[in-house]
Amino acid sequence: MEGGGGASYQRFPVVKVRETKDDYLKFELRGTDASVANALRRVMIAEVPTIAIDLVEIEVNSSVLNDEFIAHRLGLVPLTSDRAMSMRFSRDCDACDGDGQCEFCSVEFHLRAKCMTDQTLDVTSKDLISSDHTVVPVDFSDALADDSAEQKGITIVKLRRGQELRLRAIARKGIGKDHAKWSPAATVTFMYEPEIHINEDLVETLSLEEKQSWVESSPTKVFDINPNTEQVLVVDPEAYTYDEEVIKKAEAMGKPGLVEIYAKEDSFIFTVESTGAIKASQLVLNAIDVLKQKLDAVRLSEDTVEADDQFGELGAHMRGG
Amino acid sequence: MNAPDRYERFVVPEGTKKVSYERDTKIINAASFTIEREDHTIGNILRMQLHRDDNVLFAGYKLPHPLQYKIIVRVHTTSQSSPMQAYNQAINDLDKELDHLRNAFETEMAKHSRDY
Repeated sequence: MEGGGGASYQRFPVVKVRETKDDYLKFELRGTDASVANALRRVMIAEVPTIAIDLVEIEVNSSVLNDEFIAHRLGLVPLTSDRAMSMRFSRDCDACDGDGQCEFCSVEFHLRAKCMTDQTLDVTSKDLISSDHTVVPVDFSDALADDSAEQKGITIVKLRRGQELRLRAIARKGIGKDHAKWSPAATVTFMYEPEIHINEDLVETLSLEEKQSWVESSPTKVFDINPNTEQVLVVDPEAYTYDEEVIKKAEAMGKPGLVEIYAKEDSFIFTVESTGAIKASQLVLNAIDVLKQKLDAVRLSEDTVEADDQFGELGAHMRGG
Repeated sequence: MNAPDRYERFVVPEGTKKVSYERDTKIINAASFTIEREDHTIGNILRMQLHRDDNVLFAGYKLPHPLQYKIIVRVHTTSQSSPMQAYNQAINDLDKELDHLRNAFETEMAKHSRDY
């Protein structure tokens, strides 16, 4: 009945990827507005699911850290979560009546470590033994310089002679809104693309020293001077932080309008850094999917529409009679 | 001790509707949509998409209280449309935009992995 009809106001955004690594992505998003860009950012941080340790049963702990301290540290260890999108949340898993310990909604980990020597033993994320080879602590070894003989994981606790740690942990699917340990994003930012116009005629009325001092008034290196032609150039527009220092400087020099800077309102530069739980590029795709699911969930239900149709007739009677 | 459960922020309680619709009693073609367990993420994109519709005279959203996990979207349209029609259209258009975005992103990533 409704929903169809009327002109479409759909947009067709354009994407350009600039740089991509497993845990880093930089891309341009054009042809949409800040609300969509911000929704994507918010979803990436708080609503893309990952897997993290959520329940810890400690068998033996004679380390210097108390049980809950260790449980908290374990929760923060990023786990590879490519499976998370298709996994079930424990709370709506019907295979295990909500106790959240079945293969569909959880992954079990074991950790056993005891220090037998006089040297301190580092218990790291590498000591966590997973029951599922697809869900393991994130390995950062290729990101680090691999000249060191031994690759270390994330330190959980240090043990001295005679101390022991033995535990069982359950990892579950969750989202960053629930607890930050489930957030797959280290940082996600976007900025408006700046558009910088230098008034060439006005610049030419400046002496070289004046040009120099104006160029240096910017806290970030946005402008430079060509040593041969003594022309002022925009070397890196994206270094501009919208601080307006160069505009104030131009005014102070008695040359207002020396430069005009606009933020292009439909053009964004995104930087995505992942914790390693999922690849940065996959994080963006998952965010789009999650946002689509959210939109689908807020569609009007059939009974709401029917109830209103009746109301409409009733209203017509009231108005007519 | 008496802190509410964290999941209350995003799990719709049983027996509660995700979206409820209420017509304005005084103004024709004006209505409020109350969306449970949603925030600025959905509120703002819906509002901005509704603004693109020529038949929408007013569209706004509010998060009444940070501890009440719901938003209220208010829409007023011309007689050519209705709040329900505008709301559905906005969701459909956003959905199609995200489909397009997903495809654009995937082709761009494929191009990148081939080049390098």
